[in-house]
This record gives sequence, structure tokens and C-alpha cells, in this order.
Amino acid sequence: MDTGFLRVLLDPGRFFEARMQEEPSLKVPALIAIVIGLIGAVSTIPMTDLTMAMLPAEMQGLGLLMTVISAGVAFIGGFLAWAIYGVVFHIVSLIFKGQGSLERTMEFTGYGLLPQIFGGIIGTYFSYRLLSGLSIPSMTSPEQMVEFSENLVAVLTTSPLAQIAGLVSILFLVWSANIWIFGMKHARGLSTRDAVLTVGIPMGLYILYMLITLTGWL
Amino acid sequence: MKPLNVLIISLLCAAMAFTVPASAGPADIAVVSSSLDPSVLMKGDTGTLTVTIQNTGAETVAIRSARLYGSGVVPLSEPYPSVGEIGTGNSKTFTFSVRADGGEGTFYPTFVLDFRDGGGSLRYPVPIQVVDTPLSASVIQKPDAFAESRTADITVRVGNPRPNAASGVQVIPQGSGFTVTPTGGFIGALAPDASGTVTFNLTPTAETDVTFQVVWRNGINTHTADLVLPVAFGEDKKQADPVITNVEVTPIAGGYRIVGDVMNAGLESARSVIISPGAPATAIDPFRVYVVGTLDPDDISSFEVTFRADANTTEIPVVVEYRDNDGNRYTASTPIGLGGMTAAPIEGSEDGGFPVAGLLVVVLVALGVAGAIYYSWKRA
Repeated sequence: MDTGFLRVLLDPGRFFEARMQEEPSLKVPALIAIVIGLIGAVSTIPMTDLTMAMLPAEMQGLGLLMTVISAGVAFIGGFLAWAIYGVVFHIVSLIFKGQGSLERTMEFTGYGLLPQIFGGIIGTYFSYRLLSGLSIPSMTSPEQMVEFSENLVAVLTTSPLAQIAGLVSILFLVWSANIWIFGMKHARGLSTRDAVLTVGIPMGLYILYMLITLTGWL
Repeated sequence: MKPLNVLIISLLCAAMAFTVPASAGPADIAVVSSSLDPSVLMKGDTGTLTVTIQNTGAETVAIRSARLYGSGVVPLSEPYPSVGEIGTGNSKTFTFSVRADGGEGTFYPTFVLDFRDGGGSLRYPVPIQVVDTPLSASVIQKPDAFAESRTADITVRVGNPRPNAASGVQVIPQGSGFTVTPTGGFIGALAPDASGTVTFNLTPTAETDVTFQVVWRNGINTHTADLVLPVAFGEDKKQADPVITNVEVTPIAGGYRIVGDVMNAGLESARSVIISPGAPATAIDPFRVYVVGTLDPDDISSFEVTFRADANTTEIPVVVEYRDNDGNRYTASTPIGLGGMTAAPIEGSEDGGFPVAGLLVVVLVALGVAGAIYYSWKRA
């Protein structure tokens, strides 16, 4: 059953095998990165609301500017993540004598980002639940805002909802990593073992870092 | 002398010898002893006076009546209207009830014996002592300060400054607003200048006056003396004094965590010390309360409590509950500021626990991802 590029979610091996018969195209991966960026931009709304509530009335204009900047950064974040993952995988695969163009690596890495759309949606929901549950005291001085910000970080890092959101992100990242293994295998002409190492080493380190951050060991 | 005259004189002498009674007069009757029970009376007391007489002569003496009269100490019983004869060497006892109607001092009611046949009478003043000094009571041990529902040891000493013994001495606490154990203390007989003590466990429930009533008997007469002990609540200088220091407030998801030290700055041990957040805070898991246990003087212990507070709450009390050695409960409250940040509870985790729905999402996602990965490798 051919379900288009969504087939990459459950059958990445055959999907990438089929893609290798065609010329590299970054259209669909770019579309995926755009969607991820949009979800990231939307996920900043609760945090932006929180920031706006902290600011005094005369600084609401600054808050609006901060909102636009945050949304822009979050939007670009989708493309940035795509680029970083792709470049890292390409470089690591060189160790295993990987062969193939960077464009193909980027294409397959972009497809691998597809599970991040689901992860982003669920993460945004948890973020909304977490931040909407907080009430903002009236603050009149910068010192109070700094104190609030520090306490907010403490709340967010110890919140069970934040931990759940982190766990969900890791799970979807594992799913993406699985797709990338098949992607690198075909894009860089690696053996299954080398493809697992190419993706597993950087992603393992990253997931380990996320777990450490999540459990508060850092 | 004519023989006739001699006969007449002889007959007269013989007649005189037969007509003169053997109890010739009061000279042979003597009061040999008198006693009073109790030996010393108090004002209004009734006592029993016993007078013993003896015939020390060689002849029987006929007595018509015996009576007692006087002022200050008056007889209550009737006189002896017909006594009769007392043989030589015999004695007889007369008993009178008397009452001390006058003031203090020594009184001399008169014991009177009337002899028959114009033999005159015997008057004997009997000394009776009346002393109105009561037993003295004093509190010789009590706490520095009383506290509501805190049991205090009260020791009462009863002394006998009277010249005679007191019997059946008791101390009975009276009044309201307290409970006491025992409800009465029995000392018994107290010799002159002797004393006895009774200890009570007094637990006041309100500020009040406790009257320790000393009850004793002087003979058959019952007397009382009151000792009033005012019970006013105050701060015990030795009591435990838990002090909270080194407090650190940390916002957590859904509330706050307070970590600090509690130290006993008093001179007595604080037992069963429990620390909890007070209203308006609502305690949440994992540290709704923190049980420290016993804090001896100068001991210190760390504690930790977690709670939730409303957005407008800037300060909450941390309540320390403890007991003294008698089990009386005390509370001390220390206000703790929360700072400028207020974290409202997060929906679904109001008690600070892990959200069940979120956990379910994690499990479902994990199953889905695992299934996808398994399927992808199976297809490969």
C-alpha cells in the first residue's frame, strides 16, 4: 500500500529504497520542517502570554516584539534542527566511509523529522497545560521579575507535566532516529551496523543529555 | 457530884455519840483529778469535763448534789441532783458537757459538791483553756506558671500550732475550672507543732482560684481553714521553645517546598514534635507533615514540608506542635514569607502527585513508537 511520504513512519526501509530511485528533492522535507516550525511557534504562545502578564502596561509593546521574535526563532528552529541533524549524520557517516551527497542526506533526514510533528503537537498541549496552570502575581520592579523568572524555572523543571512532555519528546526522537537509521543506510550506502552507529552515537548522547536534564541531575 | 448528875451527863454523852453522823464534813472529800476532752477548746467547742473526787476520811460521807457553773465555759449537761454516800477510800467521777462560749483564755468553771445534813459544800474551780488558733496551711511547691490543660504538682503542708493534737486532718481542693488528683488528701492526727504534706496533680482548664480546705477535728468539733491558691496562666520559664531557623522556600510544581531547621531553645524537652504548614496553605504530598519526634533542650533537627497556596498568598505560618512530659499539647507558629512568585496548582496534579492522564499518554506513545519501530524492522 503506497501512502506517499507517510509510509516513512512505518516502513522507512522500503520508502528510502524507493526514494533512492529518484532524484533528491527537498520539497517534502522542507514542508515537514515548516510544519514543525509552525508548531514550535504556536507552542511559544503560552509562554509569551506569561511574559506579557509579567510586564507592566507601559512595556506591553516590548512584549509584543518579544512574541514576534520568539515565534520567529521557534519557526526557524524547525529548519535549524533539520540542518543540524543532517550535517551531523553526514559527518559521522564519513567515519564509516559513507558515500552519497549531502543533499540526499538532508532529504532523508528531513523525512525522519516527521514524527517530531506529532511530538510537537503533544508537547505544545502539555506546555499549554503547564503554563496555563500558573498564576502571575503583580510585579512592579525588575527585581521581582527576576525572582519570578528564577522561580518559574524551578517550577517548570520540577513539574510532572514537564517531565511527561520531556519523556514524550524522547520517545518521538527515538522514532525519528529509527527512520534516520534506514535513511543513512540508503543515503550514505552504509551497512545496517554502521547506520545504527552513525545515528545512534549522536542521538544516544543527545537523548542521554535530555534524560539527565529531565531528572534534574544537572 | 451527885450520882444523878453523873448519870444525866453520861446519858447525854451516849446520846451525842449516837446522833453525830460519821460523815462529819467536806474536809474528808477531795477532788483528786479533773480532765477535759479535748484538752484545749476552741471558741464554740463542746468538750467533756470529768471530775473525780475521793473520800480520804475514815467515815462515809453523804453528798446531796454535784453541779458545775461558771461563765466563759458553760455547762451543757444537767447537774447531779442526788449523789449519795461515798465510803471511806472510795472515789466518784462526775462528767459534764461544757461549751466555750467566751473568748480565748483560761476559764475556771466551779465544781460544787453539796453535803447533806448541813455539812456545807465543796467548791473546786476547774481550769479550762480556750485557744482559737487554727491549723496553718501553706503551699510549699507549685510551678512557676500555670498553663491551660497542663498538669501541675501542688504540695500543701499543714502544720499544727495549737497546744493540743488535731485529729482527722484532711485537705480538700475546692473550686471550679480545674481537675485534681487526688480529690482529697488525708493526713490524720497531727501532734502539737507537727506537720504533714499532701501533693495534688492539678490541671486547670481556666484561670481560677483553687481553695484548699483543711478540715480537722478538735475532740468532737469539726473545724476548717481555707488556703486559696490563685491560678493565673503565664509562660513557664522552663518550657520547651521550638524555634524555626535557616528557612529556604522553593517553588515546586503545584506549590512550594519549605526546608529549614527547628531547634529547642527551651529548658525542657519537646516531645512528639510535628511540623506542618498552616492555613491558608494546603499541605500536599510528599511532605504534608514532618515528624521530628523528641527535641531535647538545645537539640536541632531539619524539616521539610510541601504545600499549595493561593496566588495572593505572600506569607504562611509554619506550625510546630509538640507535647510536654505530661502529654499536654502546645503549638507554636512561625510566619514564613513566600517571596514574589506564586505558583497556582496545576490541573490534574492538585495534590502535587504525578498526573495519571499524562502517564497514560506516555505509555500509549511508547507502545505506538515501539510498534512502529518493530514493524519497520520487520518489513526491512
